Amino acid sequence: MTRNQIHSIFLSAFVLVAVLIATRPAAAQDPQQPYPTMAPVEQYLMDRDAEIALARSAAPDAISHDASVIVLTRHGYETAVQGKNGWVCWVGRGWMAMFDHPEFWNPKVRAADCLNPPAARSILPYAYKRTELLLAGHSKQEVIAAIKAAIDKKELPTIEQGTVSYMMSKSSYLTDNGGHNGPHLMFFQTDKNDTAWGANLTNSPVLAVNYWYISAQSYPQLKSFPPLSVFLVVVDKWSDGTPAPSM
Amino acid sequence: MRKKKVGAIAIKSFALLVVLGTAYLGTANQAMAQEAKTPYPNMAPVDQYLMTDQAAEIAMARSAAPESIARDAEVLVLGRHGFETAVKGKNGFVCIVGRGWTSAPDAEFWNPKVRVPMCVNAAAARSYLLRITKITELGLAGRTQTQTDEAIAAAIAKKELPAMESGAMCYMMSKQGYGGDAIPHWPSHLMFFFSDTDPATWGANLPGSPVFAGADPVEHLTQFVVAVQQWSDGTEAR
Repeated sequence: MTRNQIHSIFLSAFVLVAVLIATRPAAAQDPQQPYPTMAPVEQYLMDRDAEIALARSAAPDAISHDASVIVLTRHGYETAVQGKNGWVCWVGRGWMAMFDHPEFWNPKVRAADCLNPPAARSILPYAYKRTELLLAGHSKQEVIAAIKAAIDKKELPTIEQGTVSYMMSKSSYLTDNGGHNGPHLMFFQTDKNDTAWGANLTNSPVLAVNYWYISAQSYPQLKSFPPLSVFLVVVDKWSDGTPAPSM
Repeated sequence: MRKKKVGAIAIKSFALLVVLGTAYLGTANQAMAQEAKTPYPNMAPVDQYLMTDQAAEIAMARSAAPESIARDAEVLVLGRHGFETAVKGKNGFVCIVGRGWTSAPDAEFWNPKVRVPMCVNAAAARSYLLRITKITELGLAGRTQTQTDEAIAAAIAKKELPAMESGAMCYMMSKQGYGGDAIPHWPSHLMFFFSDTDPATWGANLPGSPVFAGADPVEHLTQFVVAVQQWSDGTEAR
């Protein structure tokens, strides 16, 4: 399978690396829709201390030690630790993947992530909005419409330059596929296409996905969203400094 | 030397990864020792900076990025007065072989053996690369490093050289080339270019961070470096 084929089938910001290291397909009931609906909310929640530790493990201690940490509650994310370096660490759930991603409702996903200050200011508000609306029981269509309205009213920020996130935790669960995890950095750019960084081409170390959708067939309104590409570069160590498997 | 005043040891784009990377501190010490000796105090004859085989220079330039990118890139080769277009591209990327003026630690500014391939994306071609080509022209004209630094700073102040564009980056994944006597070959890596950005914004240079960076307030340029796992030909690089 070529990278482009992989790209068209699976990609989400969280599962990207795991897809590349996949050695066998997931044992899902329906490969097209393994998680068609939201699971009981309890399945998405974690022990608070464990969630804080997992969130911090996304980046080397030199970064995450002074970062703010947010944790998921029944109604959305709330600040558990107030930081002092502008970074924010958190554990993303499946619904932070694209709206048409097959693991959107996968309750096992635990994507530890530390966002740099520009990303915390400009990416995180989208995550808050999406999470709160979904946990309140709104449908994907309703959430998409609400986010679009918030963008149009400038209630959600434009994406800043230099947004980076670290996803280097050994303990994340990004996808049911393959090894479930892999250390990487993510960069958010308002580019309209992936070619700006030479992403997704043969032997390129840069991979890219659309932040909003895989194909947008199921949710055509997403095509009217401001362009937002997520570029990903695999790194060779986990956040604790130990070597990661080669991908 | 101005670059030392800004707190960097030898912040040229290609020295960054090695000089700042903790895994390479031994090499960095060698680099500093070399710098103290100033092994290349003067310009060598121009011919020593040129590659007589243009096809070889094109191939080396292209080797900076995977073939899927480089095959459609513009390629510049060094002439007696600066870089010249040897191959027209169609994907916005531009590949060159950098020389000591732009691509080695400060002490090797005049080292005629330096050959460092890089492929910049379109955003970097419109911003970062203009500095590289300008410095190269000044170097070929025999300007000293101090004179070159002053000229570049003045050109930036007058906006004759632009700020970094959003998304400006480059590939430096070649197995080929020569980074200089102190650091003969650079690890396979990507670089990202910003104007006036604090390296801490990316968590750079901190223990365990995969990101290295250097900021030059005179040039208003911050360069971030991220090592990658493969060479441009797809073989493992670690």
